Amino acid sequence: MKEQKSKTLRGFLFGAGFVAIAAFLFTGCPSQQGMMDTREAAQKVYVAPGEHDEYYGFFSGGYSGQLSVWGLPSSRLLKVIPVFSQDPESGYGYSEETKPLFETSYGFIPWDDSHHPHISQTDGDADGRWIFINANNTPRIARIDLKTFETKEILELPNTGGNHASSFVTSNTEYVIGGTRFSIPYEADLDVPIDSYSDEFRGALSFVAVDQETGMMDLDFQIVVPPYNYDLGRAGKGPSADWVFFTTYNTEEAHTMLEVNASRYDKDFIAAVNWRKAAELVEQGHGRTVSAEYYHNYYEGNQGYAINDIKDQVTILDTREIDENFIYYLPTPKSPHGVDVDPTGEYIVGGGKLATVIPVHSFSRMLEAIDNNEVEEVIDGIPVLNYDATIAGEVENPGLGPLHTEFDGRGYAYTSVYISSEIVKWSLETFEVVDRIDAYYSIGHLMITGGDTKNPDARYMVGLTKTAKDRYLPTGPKQNHPAQLYDISGDRMELLLDFPTIGEPHYAQAIRADKIVDQVAQIYEMEENDHPDALLRIADNRVERDGNTVHVYMGSTRSHFRPDNIEGIRVGDTVYIHLTNLEQEWDVVHGIAVKGANNAEILVAPGQTKTLKWEPTRTGIYPFYCTAFCSALHQEMQGYIRVSAEDSDVELAWRTGTD
Amino acid sequence: MTFLKYIPKLILPIVLLFSLQACGEDDRSQRDDQEETTEAGLTEFELEHGIGPVTERIEIDDEIDQELVTKGRNIYEMKCEMCHNMEGRMVGPQLGDVMEHRSPEFVMNFILNPSGMTREHPVGQELLQEYMTSMPFQNVKEDEARAIVEFLRDYKRNN
Amino acid sequence: MRIESKIGMALGALMLIALYFMPFWTIDMSAPQYPEGIGMYIHIDDVTGHKRHDLQNINTLNHYIGMAEIHRDDFPEFDIMPWIIGFLIAFGLLAAAVGSMKLVITWIVLMVILGIVGLVDFYMWGHEYGHNLSPDAPIRVPGMSYQPPLIGCKQLLNINACSWPYTGSIFIGLSMLMASGVVYYEKFKIKKD
Repeated sequence: MKEQKSKTLRGFLFGAGFVAIAAFLFTGCPSQQGMMDTREAAQKVYVAPGEHDEYYGFFSGGYSGQLSVWGLPSSRLLKVIPVFSQDPESGYGYSEETKPLFETSYGFIPWDDSHHPHISQTDGDADGRWIFINANNTPRIARIDLKTFETKEILELPNTGGNHASSFVTSNTEYVIGGTRFSIPYEADLDVPIDSYSDEFRGALSFVAVDQETGMMDLDFQIVVPPYNYDLGRAGKGPSADWVFFTTYNTEEAHTMLEVNASRYDKDFIAAVNWRKAAELVEQGHGRTVSAEYYHNYYEGNQGYAINDIKDQVTILDTREIDENFIYYLPTPKSPHGVDVDPTGEYIVGGGKLATVIPVHSFSRMLEAIDNNEVEEVIDGIPVLNYDATIAGEVENPGLGPLHTEFDGRGYAYTSVYISSEIVKWSLETFEVVDRIDAYYSIGHLMITGGDTKNPDARYMVGLTKTAKDRYLPTGPKQNHPAQLYDISGDRMELLLDFPTIGEPHYAQAIRADKIVDQVAQIYEMEENDHPDALLRIADNRVERDGNTVHVYMGSTRSHFRPDNIEGIRVGDTVYIHLTNLEQEWDVVHGIAVKGANNAEILVAPGQTKTLKWEPTRTGIYPFYCTAFCSALHQEMQGYIRVSAEDSDVELAWRTGTD
Repeated sequence: MTFLKYIPKLILPIVLLFSLQACGEDDRSQRDDQEETTEAGLTEFELEHGIGPVTERIEIDDEIDQELVTKGRNIYEMKCEMCHNMEGRMVGPQLGDVMEHRSPEFVMNFILNPSGMTREHPVGQELLQEYMTSMPFQNVKEDEARAIVEFLRDYKRNN
Repeated sequence: MRIESKIGMALGALMLIALYFMPFWTIDMSAPQYPEGIGMYIHIDDVTGHKRHDLQNINTLNHYIGMAEIHRDDFPEFDIMPWIIGFLIAFGLLAAAVGSMKLVITWIVLMVILGIVGLVDFYMWGHEYGHNLSPDAPIRVPGMSYQPPLIGCKQLLNINACSWPYTGSIFIGLSMLMASGVVYYEKFKIKKD
């Protein structure tokens, strides 16, 4: 009996062992990190304190609407340049000078979604004069000056819904392009049923001319095309420099549940547009002028208030009306997203996001196909070329959901792959994948330093990913979007760094710092301050009343305002405080904030004049102070404004200190 | 054998040059090996006329150049008056009588190199202690500083 | 049957009660962008996510490739299985009480048959879900089906799917072991004595 008991016991023990083995079996294996030795990686990204990075990186802010500036390879955030969203930190979009930049034909719009920064180019190389960036939601293009790193101009695009295929420049910045992701009726405010899509809706491809001296943008013409979704665009290079390429999806012309309905066809198109020819046609008078309301907001001088130039017409080229061909469709598998042109200008790579291959078109074969008239069909006057006639190769096994491609100028292309969350490196000679590396997690665009030019300076690559999940210390259900820095100077891609960014960076560009660094302004020269309300003579500081409007002409220096005691303001007044920062020393910034002002603070750079609008609603004494820690006596930098009743007879008076 | 006696003289500048490179010192010490230095390691010129880009006496005509005065006044009104009065102290000292006890070169060097002056010159250090605010560089060029001097000379003469 | 065999058999049958409290099967999925993993448990009366919303997330993912959504109510098995397990427990206890070796062996045979039926059923469901794809799916990979593995791991596009027995199955195994042990003990050990 004893022996039997022990046998029963053995059975239980056996069971327990089974549980233990099972527990071991069911535990997963840890995932692989494709990273080099951490010490080596750390050395590669280490930039000693006080030293400068090799590259400026410009990352779009996505739904933040801004543009962030990074030092690469250290991946330190240098600045966030506010562009399409109000920025209470700097007063951008709150100061009277910058408010007009936000005006559109729909009124004042405080936010947008910025996607694709693109640096101006000369002869196919980034030149660092300006950087352009698109607003996706209310279609616009902004120009940022790379001397002051400030937004200088915003141009609205009419007839466009979702300006996504933007703001890419041509080889000599002749044009910045825009494209409609959501086709809409072409005529302004046309009120039609949504299911009249195929009849009433049209796409628009915008060509914005850029003044080479000033950078000033002008909507030269729009091409009216069939109602597809024009997703991304890129200009050609070298031999293809006269062309730009747009991807299209939704050639099904769906207007509901696009997820399903726009994914039906095996092929959509890349639209190849000969912009030079189109521009010639416009010049020769083949275009048609239609009415369209859109805003062009810019500064006339160095400083001052941005102005709103309200346009009322645009020149269009309708492919249905013009006999000459200047645009061709290249069939491309499965709702292509990115379209990217290699540094030689020969290869046009489509990112068929639902496709199982990466299709690569050849520019020279495309020209041959046009010459040989290898046309499958003609859609609204646009010839559709034969796929086999233009294709140079298909990259097999690229992963799931290839999106965007950049090039290293050494014969390799790098494609971001969203669903399988990786980057694949492939050869432009053999069209075979040679390397792949994980992205953390779900990669959108990728960027190669000096990329999208004829001569990429391809030392580093940045992957811009959509979810952080467990990569950093957790910060709640919504976390900042990550970016990964890779070393691509060797045969294999190697992960160096993984860092969180701001907003939702879509595309980014990086340029060698030495191309920009010498032109960066340290101050606004007071001698060149052409702001109409600047305080150019300190003795001219004053307060003026014009009916219910009061103008305060104020100066600031370390560590006081002049004037700093103001009386005679009344409830119901609209007060404009024009603050000139009289400092002429780099990075000595003053700010102003007034108690109770329904506004942001205003930061004023050295030599700059900015205006704070304030409408006091209650009587009392209102302190104001400098918001920027400017000096040892910053805490002393303050003043008082007395606000009296509406019918008060307190005289307008202003004082400073000793007098 | 004669060149041996030059060796100490050769070594000193070389050593100084190395110490310069090592620390990135300002250009002042470069002159130390050439000139006699006084207290605080300044040359006679520096003590008298300030530390900065103006390193030798400038020629100043006794006659006041009215064109230069106008130029100087404009700069003064734009860039100086926030902190200086002609009569009576403000953030900084009054300037109406500055030409009485400072040389033109001294005034110019103070305008052109205010941080260097308040850090290294005994007068600058004294002024900083008294006024508790270091004068900022206001992006004034050398010829503009000269114009300000002319404006101050003119003021002194007429008041 | 000896008293200890009776107790062993009864315990073996009672072990199946665990199935009412824990899943007996798991499907683990891992993908680069799912470092934390995502998956589902199969219980005798329900299908649930590893984490609270996993099932919903799996359905969201699956719709891209046109797979049908997975809902508990689509499986009549979940209504039947608790009764079957209940019957097996009762039957096992009866066999123990009566002390009939025949009943014990019948019970084991029943368990094996039901196990095989269950696996076949599981395979058929997997086949159904993996092959019956919506023609409207955004992503259609020619020649690709998404049938999960019966047991083991399989790469389905970017997702590595693994199918394994889970804790409940350990109790099934133990239950079988106990019953088999009883048979072995009664038939071979005692005879030798």
